[in-house]
Amino acid sequence: MSRDGYTGFTRGEARTSTARALQFANFGPLGKVARLPWSIILLIVGVGLTGAAMLFSVGWDPVAQAPSPEEAGLWRDHLSRLAVGFVLMITLALLPLGIWARLAWPAYATVIVLLVLVDFFGVMGGGAARWLKIGPIILQPSEPAKLAVTMALASYYQRAMPTGGQSPPLWVHGGALIIMLIPAALVFKQPNLSTALALAASGAMIIFFAGIAMRYVAGAMVLGLAMIPVIYTFVLEPYQRERVDTLIAGITGEATNGLGESYQIEQAKIAIGAGGLSGRGYLQGIQSQQEYVPEQHTDFILTIIAEEFGFLGAVGLLAVFAFLFAWSFMVAAKNRSWFGRLATIGATSTIAFFAIFNSGMVLGLLPVLGMPLPLISYGGTALITVMACFGLILSAHLHQDEKLSARGLF
Amino acid sequence: MARRQSPEADFDRRLLLAMGAGGAVFATLVARLSQLQFLEADHYEKLAAENHIRLVLSPPERGEILDRFGRPLASQRQAGRVSVVPERLTDAEATLKNLGRFIDLPEARVKRVLQDIQNNRLRRASFIPVTVVQELSYEEFARLRVRAVEMEGVDVEMASTRSYPRGRDFAHVLGYVARASADDITRMAEGRTGPELKTFEDLLRHPDIRVGRQGMERFAEDWLRGRPGRRRVVTNAHGRPMQELEQDPANAAVPGKDLYVTIDSELQRIAIERFEGESGAAVVVDVATGDVLAMVSTPAFDPNSFVNGISGKDYAELRDNPMAPLYPRAHGGVYPPGSTFKMVVATAALEAGVVKTSDTVRCGGSYRFGNRTWHCWKKGGHGTMNMHNALKHSCDVYFYEIARRTGVRKIAEVSHKFGFGETFVLGMTGGRSGLVPDPEWKQRARGEPWFEGETLNFGIGQGQLGTTPLQLALMTARIAATGAPLKPNLIGLGPPSPEDKTLDAPLDPAIMEIQKAGMYGVTSEPGGTAYRSGDLGLGGPRLAGKTGTAQVRRISAEERRKGIRGGEDIARELRDHALFVAYAPADNPKYAVSVIVEHGEGGSRTAAPVGRDILAAAIKMNSGRTPAYAKRAAVKTPDTDGAPEGDPA
Repeated sequence: MSRDGYTGFTRGEARTSTARALQFANFGPLGKVARLPWSIILLIVGVGLTGAAMLFSVGWDPVAQAPSPEEAGLWRDHLSRLAVGFVLMITLALLPLGIWARLAWPAYATVIVLLVLVDFFGVMGGGAARWLKIGPIILQPSEPAKLAVTMALASYYQRAMPTGGQSPPLWVHGGALIIMLIPAALVFKQPNLSTALALAASGAMIIFFAGIAMRYVAGAMVLGLAMIPVIYTFVLEPYQRERVDTLIAGITGEATNGLGESYQIEQAKIAIGAGGLSGRGYLQGIQSQQEYVPEQHTDFILTIIAEEFGFLGAVGLLAVFAFLFAWSFMVAAKNRSWFGRLATIGATSTIAFFAIFNSGMVLGLLPVLGMPLPLISYGGTALITVMACFGLILSAHLHQDEKLSARGLF
Repeated sequence: MARRQSPEADFDRRLLLAMGAGGAVFATLVARLSQLQFLEADHYEKLAAENHIRLVLSPPERGEILDRFGRPLASQRQAGRVSVVPERLTDAEATLKNLGRFIDLPEARVKRVLQDIQNNRLRRASFIPVTVVQELSYEEFARLRVRAVEMEGVDVEMASTRSYPRGRDFAHVLGYVARASADDITRMAEGRTGPELKTFEDLLRHPDIRVGRQGMERFAEDWLRGRPGRRRVVTNAHGRPMQELEQDPANAAVPGKDLYVTIDSELQRIAIERFEGESGAAVVVDVATGDVLAMVSTPAFDPNSFVNGISGKDYAELRDNPMAPLYPRAHGGVYPPGSTFKMVVATAALEAGVVKTSDTVRCGGSYRFGNRTWHCWKKGGHGTMNMHNALKHSCDVYFYEIARRTGVRKIAEVSHKFGFGETFVLGMTGGRSGLVPDPEWKQRARGEPWFEGETLNFGIGQGQLGTTPLQLALMTARIAATGAPLKPNLIGLGPPSPEDKTLDAPLDPAIMEIQKAGMYGVTSEPGGTAYRSGDLGLGGPRLAGKTGTAQVRRISAEERRKGIRGGEDIARELRDHALFVAYAPADNPKYAVSVIVEHGEGGSRTAAPVGRDILAAAIKMNSGRTPAYAKRAAVKTPDTDGAPEGDPA
């Protein structure tokens, strides 16, 4: 804990004393609301509003100079989802970490049951069974799974972490691996490769931060690299293999036919490249406005930002994301409980994984997988999940000094 | 082994590691962005421009077809059109069903539209609209215009479409246009290669383009079509035009040229009405200029129903109609001319010198040749006949005799001089030559020698002889013009019709005067076969003409004995055709006409009054007066279409 040389307080103490001086901190929930990091929340909402603005641009009809009737709903949907997500995020942020930790296992168990049910009774969509239909409610259990797995792993380490400044033995990490792999495997089987990868990535980050010895980390990396050709040859479907081929061709500058799998990425590159330094201006992106880039309202929304606001806009957005992730990591560092630290790491990793993978894919550096850009891409469930993850991070920030006992956890 | 740090301390260390890795990822993304947006920006800017600026074919407006006095016969009309864009349809069938609630959409039409949608999708041209209904009524247009806004993928707009304001009147002259079929494209694109071929085929496939299928629309296709232009437009990824760019005037479409026909559409109308629903044909020719002033074939079809594709059922109805509305009788109908041919035979006989006008033949009602008997139409016979009286009374026996004396070759030769056996294109399609028989033809076609008995039939316009109403009108005009050369015209201002030659084979004026006198006798001397129809009803001028009856089948000996010649006793389609050829005014011929009333039985009873009324109308309306296009062709002054009616004669 670094103490401020001038006041002699840690930052947490300074904040508490300031709030106390303002006669707020003791006023229960209201005081908590006042202590929320509103500048960060403003940034999150700001990114979400950027998403709405870009969706408005996607739905713009350049001939009529008006929103096209078919796509006018995009930005309105996004705004209302953002509002719902905002309320959820603030509510979750106010939950003490003790409650989060106690909810972890029931949430995990529920998600596993739902994932198994999807396997048997799932509604097919886009060639995969991802949805559960219970009466009028349509559930996509792979989305809450991201949060539930993070909470479960954090809770697991909170209990398993030895006292007395010792690293947990290897079998503890083995248990964590199993907790992560069960839902990941179920999601992979749906098949939903992108979510399975996100689960694995955030799980791996939690295990890494829980202190697994570096030699295992190095070993896993080497193994992973060694597996690439095997996975390419035996695991990938032909269409996935084609995407990888396209990717490699795109990076090495090899000529592609501009059709089929390479069309989308080729058009995305044209849109981005044509944006130049400062872009063509809002609603002026010709490549984007003329529907050249498929899936522009969902996975490829970064292209319209890059075309209309250029390099400055795109880098600005990436920088905002980078700042949010760095801030979240600091939240993790400052939290006193293992649950708080690792849950924050897991939630941050989930969002960061999507942000990085999405940009990499749109820029032609990673293969095309269904990865939304957090807070910006059109799509309700992903937006809600991201907002819930931010809720968890904000809670960890708000309750950084909360001491958790192992009681009530298992 | 290094001293183990506490997990808490290790956490901060690993955090730094992770943030370092994150920073590296961020740097990689920024590097990639700068590569695309700085280093290669120009390249992608160029690709983006190539992506969306396209040259789009803009179809030319088809030229109009106007009548002699500038009245439109085929024009481009703006009409409400409803189309669907396949790429914007989620459920084509549901959309069409929905449309069917507001407009009349037969099952067959729905099927065709669904097929077209499928074809466009297969051709990867889903952005090209498929026309559902080309011409909406005003009410339908107004209703749909409001509704279409909420119907996904439905466009309601004004579009240019071919229209024939005179409907059936000019069906056989003008023909009609239709969407170019694969056959049309092959036929019309012949001789074109490379990019020109590609442009031409694209033009023909354009949804707004129609090509002439028949008649003058087909003959004058190149004249009427115009030249397509090119528009520079911004298109979206699906090739749909999104925005017009500034256009180069040199790339504008050149509209097709207007075409004038020599016909007076009012005269045409009156002539058609005069048939009162009977089937037949009539052709009016200006004696002085050879202009065709009316060209009637009735019943006819409505060419408007072909423009946007006729349904199979409607077409079958036209095809199987016993009145044969698809049959172009005036220039494609071949009939035995019957007695209207007798002037030709008389001319041949006089030219051959085998008879003098004063020579007489006794008609006792029949003519014996070889071991067969040929009958005159008048059972009791005409008595002693000279040429004038033989024409006036249409005595068959006289013509049996002079035909026999003249011989088949001479009659055939003179027939050709009048234009028989010759195809007149005149800018139409479907014209036929008919047949002038001679011994060589018979040997060739039948492998039999000519029997002299056939010459007798030839002499009264029966037998193998086949003529068209158009040929008969031209024959009459040449007689009326006292043998002066005649150049038949149907196109007043338009592409030339090089196959049509001037009828200038020499005809002796003296002989023609004899024929004219005979024809005057027919209509204007007591006892003439068309005496009742001789007065034009204009308070003075009379007409001169010749009646004819063409046998549809042989009259058997038994029927002849029983006196059955037709009427209610036999089926309509077996009854004789009634013919009449005439010119007027008799003393100063201006117009010549030929009329055939199919199964009308007696030329004098049914065809002559029709011919008389047509000639009277032509004189009354001064149909042959200076046409609108004459000024247009001679003086290059703007539009004179305004006052065609007031032209002096």
